[in-house]
This record gives sequence, structure tokens and C-alpha cells, in this order.
Amino acid sequence: MKILNNNIPKYLGVILLLYVLVAGFLVPLKPGVSSFYPKSVELNEVTTFSITTYNTFHTQSAEVKVWVRLDSTTLLSATEVRVLDDNQLQADIVLGTTQTQMYDLEKALSVIIDNEIDGYMIYPSAILVKPSKGATERPILGSIGRLSDVRSVEAFRFPYRSILYETIRNTFFHVAIWFAMFLLLIYSCYHSIRYLRTKDLHSDRKSEALINVALFFGIAGILTGAIWARFTWGTFWTSDIKLNMSAVAMLVYCAYWVLRSSISDIDTKARISAVYNIFAFINLMFLVMVIPRFTDSLHPGNGGNPALGGEDLDSTLRCIFYPAIIGYTLIGLWMADLNYRFLNLQDKYEIS
Amino acid sequence: MLYLVAISFVVFKLFGSLEGPTRIGIFWIIMVFTAIMVINDSFSIHSSRRRLALYQLYDPIELLTAKLVSNFTKMLIAGILLMTMLSILSNQWLKDWVLFAQVFTLAILGIVIIMTMVSSMTMYSSNQNSLMSVLSLPLLIPVLLIAMRLSLISERMFFDTAVSSNLLMLLGIDLLSLVIAFGLISFTWKP
Repeated sequence: MKILNNNIPKYLGVILLLYVLVAGFLVPLKPGVSSFYPKSVELNEVTTFSITTYNTFHTQSAEVKVWVRLDSTTLLSATEVRVLDDNQLQADIVLGTTQTQMYDLEKALSVIIDNEIDGYMIYPSAILVKPSKGATERPILGSIGRLSDVRSVEAFRFPYRSILYETIRNTFFHVAIWFAMFLLLIYSCYHSIRYLRTKDLHSDRKSEALINVALFFGIAGILTGAIWARFTWGTFWTSDIKLNMSAVAMLVYCAYWVLRSSISDIDTKARISAVYNIFAFINLMFLVMVIPRFTDSLHPGNGGNPALGGEDLDSTLRCIFYPAIIGYTLIGLWMADLNYRFLNLQDKYEIS
Repeated sequence: MLYLVAISFVVFKLFGSLEGPTRIGIFWIIMVFTAIMVINDSFSIHSSRRRLALYQLYDPIELLTAKLVSNFTKMLIAGILLMTMLSILSNQWLKDWVLFAQVFTLAILGIVIIMTMVSSMTMYSSNQNSLMSVLSLPLLIPVLLIAMRLSLISERMFFDTAVSSNLLMLLGIDLLSLVIAFGLISFTWKP
């Protein structure tokens, strides 16, 4: 009559979490462009751009190329690229009138930088093209390339996202802890239903222990989320709907504690708190899962943003993220198991 | 009733003018506290002997239905009275009263179901009143948020095209809580 019947899940949980910690912190980010200046170019004028890149090794590579993406397949290379140091570049770019028929003047053009060590990095919507003020027409100056000319490097690296940068690693903590919390709550709800059917007090204690651990995970999720928010959105707490809903969800489960402590009879307490747990869980589903999807939110997955998919969670992140969820859930079950055994002893010797 | 008239007069005196979001906010806050007062006693008011008699006479589902209908009627009357008072005092009628009536009915139904369920849970505890507000207020937040949003739309404070989906969501919460309440009442209602 335990939550975990043998030690394998505990070892597995520890190993998975160690893997998540080590790989999550040691795997480097893909290279990326952190700044690109100036933002616009005049037709037929030579413009010098200063480019700052992140996580790159330009000085060690033989040739760094800077491309302007004209349409879906055609690229125009910069006339000259000067490497200042590992993360600093200067590039001269000329857009001649002879090329204007190849691209849409209304749209901002993307820039692609590549070298043979780091692979390629893309800076979307980098250059706005302005009409020239009387400069003479030029022929094509840079060489025209194809998208297949861009060199890429196969390596296990996390995606580079502006605003997120290195904090993308928090996916393995903040998001995974919330997932684990939900799994624990589902399991606790299952034990509440089981208690109502069998009247077995062990199920009641299991459901209480699982809620205790899930609440702990919830607080951990809020803390990691607050730190993440500080670095990406600028404040620890915003009035984002999902934050407020999760705070309310925590309140709902704190009320569960209050309810338990206010009823003295053991059987009544177990019965009522099981009913409240089921009631609260379905409400929580509405709070955190449904309502934020109807309003705008800063979180991915709300207001039309892609949730877990697309570019935000690529295959390298998945390799760590899914083991992280399993790892936290197993550790949570272990914690709940300890808590459940403690509650058993408490009831047995009537320590309050 | 006297309580509602008195409190709306106090609020009117306090704010001077009751318009737009103030009126809607005040309305829902007063409604929630009225609901706590009205619904709190729906199970505990009976003495233990009477509870035993009710237990033997009726099925828990019948009892819950009766309590829901009576609470819903009480809250409906209270809400209409309160809105009339507030409208008279602010000298301004609701701009889109059809939408407001829909929102009002659905939200009151949700509040009544959730609170009746919570009151059936709190009747065993010693400090019932405080527990009632602690347990029910967080559970009521989804209903209240949607209700406030929709009633602001009915006051023409802002426009939104998602009115019908919000109304459907309110109805969904109501139906869901109703189903759970009927499923669980036989476990909570025991003398």
C-alpha cells in the first residue's frame, strides 16, 4: 500500500533529473545575430553595416559570408566582409537598381550570416530598402547565390531566440515543473475518486500527500516563472491572465488545507476533502487551461501564439524537455510517497 | 431586501455617481457577498433532527435540486432588486439589457451551483462562515471574470466580437458544475 512499490522509479527519476541538469546547462546555444545596424539601405549606395553576433567564432573560420535574402531562393552576398573579432563583423552591402525586379521593395529583407564553424544564422526583417537620392545606377556588385550555398553545421544545440537568449533553458524547469504538477494533481484526483468508491483511508492520505507535493511544485513553478519573467518581460509579476489564474489555482488548493484542518472527524474530513478535490480540480482545468486561451497573454500558446510546437520547442529542446517532465513526476511521486508514509504514522499515533 | 436597499444607498452615497464600470463592479461584489449570506445557511439551518428527517424522506439529488431552485430564485430576486436600485440611484438604465439579462442569469446560476455545493461541504465544520468564503471565492473567480467582462460589454464600455463564445463558456461552466454537483452530492449529504 505505497505510492511507489519499488525503487526503480526513484533511481530513474534521479538519473533523468541529473541528465536534465547537466545537458540543460552544458549544451550551447546556436549562434545568432544580436544586433544589426543601420536598419535601412538606399538603392545604389554602398552601406556599411555593423553586425554583432552571439556564440560565434569568426576569427577561427576561413571565410565569413553575409547574405541578403532577396526572395525565397535567391541571395545577394555582401561586397566585403571585415571580421573585427569573434562576435563583431562589418559588411558592405550594395543593392543596385538592376536587382529591384527580383524582390519586393515594400518588405524588409532578411540577412543570413554563415561560416564553416558555426553554420548559419538568420536575422529576419533586417534591412528596409529606400529609393535612392540621385546616386548613379550600379550593376550587380555582390555575387548572386542560392539558398543551398549557405553552409550549415549539424550539432546538438538549443535554438537561439531573441529576447529569450540563454533563458530558453528555463523550459526544462518552469514548464516541466508545471507539467509534473498537473500529472500529480490528476493522480491525486484519481485517488479522491477511489476513496469515494472504496472508503479506504489510505487513498485519502495518498491524495493529500500528492496535493502537498503538487502545491510545492506549483510554488516552485511560480518562482522559476517569476525569475524568467524578470529577464524576458522586465518584471517579476505582470497582470498576465495566466499568472493570475495560476495564483488563484494555488489559492484553491490552499483552501483545501484550510478545509482539512477545520473538520475534526476523520471519515467526514476524508469524504468532504475528496469531494472538494474533485470539484477544485475540474475548476482548475478551466482556470489554467481554458480561460487564458480566450484572452491575450504573453505566454506562448495564448492569443494565437503556437503552444508546444513550431519554432519554440524544436527537437533538441524536446530531447531534454520530455525527460525533464518524467523526471520531475517521478521525483514528485517519491516525495508524495514519503509524505504519505508520514501521514500514515501521524494517523496511527495520533500526533497532531 | 432591506440589506440590499441599505447597501446600495450606502454605495451611492460613497461614490456620488454610479456609472459604467463602477456600477458593474459594485453590482457583482454585492451579489457575491449576498450569495455568501443567502446560500451559507442552505444546509446548516436545519437542526440535526430535521436533517435526519430530510435524509430519510428525500433522495440527495431531489434535495439538491430543491436547494438550487430556491437559492436561484432568491438570488434572482436579489439581483433584479439590486440592479433596479442602482439604476434608479444612478438615473441611468442599462444600455444592452438583453445581453445583461443573459449574462446575469447564467452567472447567477453558476454562482448558486458552486456555492450550494460548497455549503454542503462546510456544514460539518466548526467555523462555517469563514470557511464558506475561503472555499467558494477562488472557485467563483472564473464565473465572475467572464460575467464582469460580458456585463461591461453590455454597458457598452468596450466592444468585443467574442460575446457568444464567452456566453457559451459561462454555460459550459454551469453545466459542468451542475453535473459534478449532482454526481457528488450523495457523498457530502449525510446527517
